[in-house]
Amino acid sequence: MSQTITIDPVTRLEGHGKITIQLNGQGEVEDAHFHVTQVRGFEKFSEGRPFYEMPALMARICGICPVSHLIASAKACEAIMSVRIPHTAAQLRRMLNLAQMVQSHSLSFFYLSSPDLLLGMESDPKTRHIFGVVGARPELGRAGIGLRRFGQHIIELLGNKRIHPGWVIPGGVTEPLAQAKRDEILAMMPEAYSNIKLALDWYKQIAETFRPEIEVFANFPSLYMGLINEDESVEFTDGALRLIDAQGSIVEDGINATRFSEVIGEAVEPYSYTKFAYYKPLGYPEGSYRVGPLARLNIVKTMGTPLADVELAAFKQLANGPVQSSFYYHHARLVDMLYGIEKIEQILSDPLILDKHVRATAGVNRLEGAGQAEAPRGTLHHHYKVDENGLITWANLVIATGQNNNAMNKGVLQAARHYVKNGKFTEGILNRVEAVVRTFDPCLSCSTHAYGQMPLALTLLSPDGEVVDRLTRS
Amino acid sequence: MRGDDGVGPWLAEWAEDRFSSDLTVRVITSQQWTPELAEEIANTHSVVFIDCSIESAPGDVQISVVAPTPAAPGLATHHIGASELLALTQELYDSLPRTALQLTIGAGSTDLGDDFSSAVKAALPEACGLLEQAVNRLLDKKQSG
Repeated sequence: MSQTITIDPVTRLEGHGKITIQLNGQGEVEDAHFHVTQVRGFEKFSEGRPFYEMPALMARICGICPVSHLIASAKACEAIMSVRIPHTAAQLRRMLNLAQMVQSHSLSFFYLSSPDLLLGMESDPKTRHIFGVVGARPELGRAGIGLRRFGQHIIELLGNKRIHPGWVIPGGVTEPLAQAKRDEILAMMPEAYSNIKLALDWYKQIAETFRPEIEVFANFPSLYMGLINEDESVEFTDGALRLIDAQGSIVEDGINATRFSEVIGEAVEPYSYTKFAYYKPLGYPEGSYRVGPLARLNIVKTMGTPLADVELAAFKQLANGPVQSSFYYHHARLVDMLYGIEKIEQILSDPLILDKHVRATAGVNRLEGAGQAEAPRGTLHHHYKVDENGLITWANLVIATGQNNNAMNKGVLQAARHYVKNGKFTEGILNRVEAVVRTFDPCLSCSTHAYGQMPLALTLLSPDGEVVDRLTRS
Repeated sequence: MRGDDGVGPWLAEWAEDRFSSDLTVRVITSQQWTPELAEEIANTHSVVFIDCSIESAPGDVQISVVAPTPAAPGLATHHIGASELLALTQELYDSLPRTALQLTIGAGSTDLGDDFSSAVKAALPEACGLLEQAVNRLLDKKQSG
C-alpha cells in the first residue's frame, strides 16, 4: 500500500512551493518531489513590448533580486543594440549587483536559515524565526539586519529606490555616481566588515554540529556552473560561464550569453511549473547541474579579493575536489558576501568611478540578443528576439532556481529517504526536508510574499485518500 | 497596484511634501514593514506608522498609541506589524521612541488597480488632518523636551 506525504506550502522560501513524499507499502520513501506551484508568464506577456522597456519590466519578476534581472536584461538589449557600455557604467552595475547579492544573502542566511542553525532543526517552530534568533543572539540579529541594510542602502543610493530601481538601462545607467554618495557608501564599510566577520566566525563554530545534515542535504556529485573571469576569479556581472564536473575538471569554458542556448537545454516535468535546465551534451537528467554560491566557489581558483581568498582557501579544504553537500551553500553564501563587501570597496577606489560617461546609445542593430549575470541564487540568462522596430517577438529566461531544480528534487528525496522511517515523521523531520530546499535559497518568481503566515500541513494519505497521519503548523 | 493598500505610501508622500521644510521629520515609504526598519526606529524620538487596515470599516480613520508586543507564532519576516517591529527594536537596540502612533484607514477594496475606493478617497482629508495634527504635536513635545 503506497502513501503520500505532502508539505504544502514549504515555509521560509521566496515564493510558493510544496513537497510530496511517496511511500511504498513498507513505509519507505519511494519518491519525492519539490513542486513550484505558481505560474507567471513574463516571457509571453513581454511579446510586443519595445526591447528598451525590457529591463524595467523584467525586474518586476522579483522583489529580492530585481537587480540581476535588470542587468541580464540590459545586457541582452545591448546585444541587440551592438554596443559596449562605458567602463564606469560597467563598474557601477557591478557594484549594484554585489550590493543586491549582500542584501539577498543576508535575508537567506539570517532571516530564513539561521533560525534552524542557531535554534536547531528540532526547536519549537513557534519561535523558530528571526525573532527567535534575536532573542537568543541579539548580536547575530543585528549583524543580519545591518548587512541587509548595507546592501539595500547602496541600491537606494545608486538607483534611488531599494526595490525595482530603474537606474540600469540598455546602454549603461541613467546617471553617474555623485561623490557624496561614494563617501556615504565608504563610511558604511567598517560596520559591514565587522558584521560579516561575526557571521563567518559564528557559522564556522556551529557548522560541524550539523554533520548528520551535511551528509544528507543534497550531498551527491553533480556538475557546477557559474560566471568566471579570465584570471579564474569569481564574477557576478561580466565574464563567461564555466561548467565543471564532480571531480572539478572543466567540462565547458567561455560560455558567453550567445552560446548559452547551444549548450544548455530546458526539460519539463509534469509536477512543476519550473523547468529543469541541463547540459545538452549529457542530456536530461544526467546533464543537470548546480548554480549559486556553492557552484561559484567550486568553479573558481580565486575570489580576487584578499579576505575572501583566505575564506575560499578554507572552504576548499572541506573536500578533495568540489564541495558536494548543499548544506555548504550557507558557508559559500557568507564567503560571497565578504567578497561583495571587499569588491564594492575596490570599485569605489577606481579613479574613473565618478566619471560622467555612463551611457551608450544606439537603436536596433541585431534582431536577437542574450545577456547573463550571476543572481544571488546563481546564473541568470535572458534571451530576446525583436522585429525591425525593436518590438519583442520572443523571450526566454533561464533562472537560477530552474538550474538547481533537479538537484533540489534529488536533495529532497535523499533527505526524505534518510529521515522518514516506517511511514512516520515528526515536525523536526518535516523541517529538515524543507531545510534542504532552503539551502539553495530558491526564488520561486517572488514579486509578492506571504511566507511564514501561511499554514503548513504535512499529511499522510492512504491510496484511497484516507488521512493516516497529519502534522500542521499555523 | 492593490487599490486601497496604496493609501499608506500616498499619505507618506503627502507628509513628505507637507513637512519638507522640517529637517527633523523623516518619511520612509515602504511597501512592507520589515526588520531592517528597527534600526531607524531605535534612533528616533517618535514614530508614526501609517497603513491601510482590512479590519476597520471602509474609510474609517483611526489613530492610536502602539506598544511593543512579542512576536506571534508563525511570524512573517517580509512583513511584520507595528507592535512587533517595536518589540524587535527594543530587543535589538535596547531603545524605543518616546511615542509610537499608528494611523490606519479602513480599506474598501484591495483588488488589483491603482485607484482608491470611494470610501478611502472620501476619508483622505480627515486622514491628512489627523496626521498633520499628530506630527505637529510630536514636534511640540520634542521641542519641549
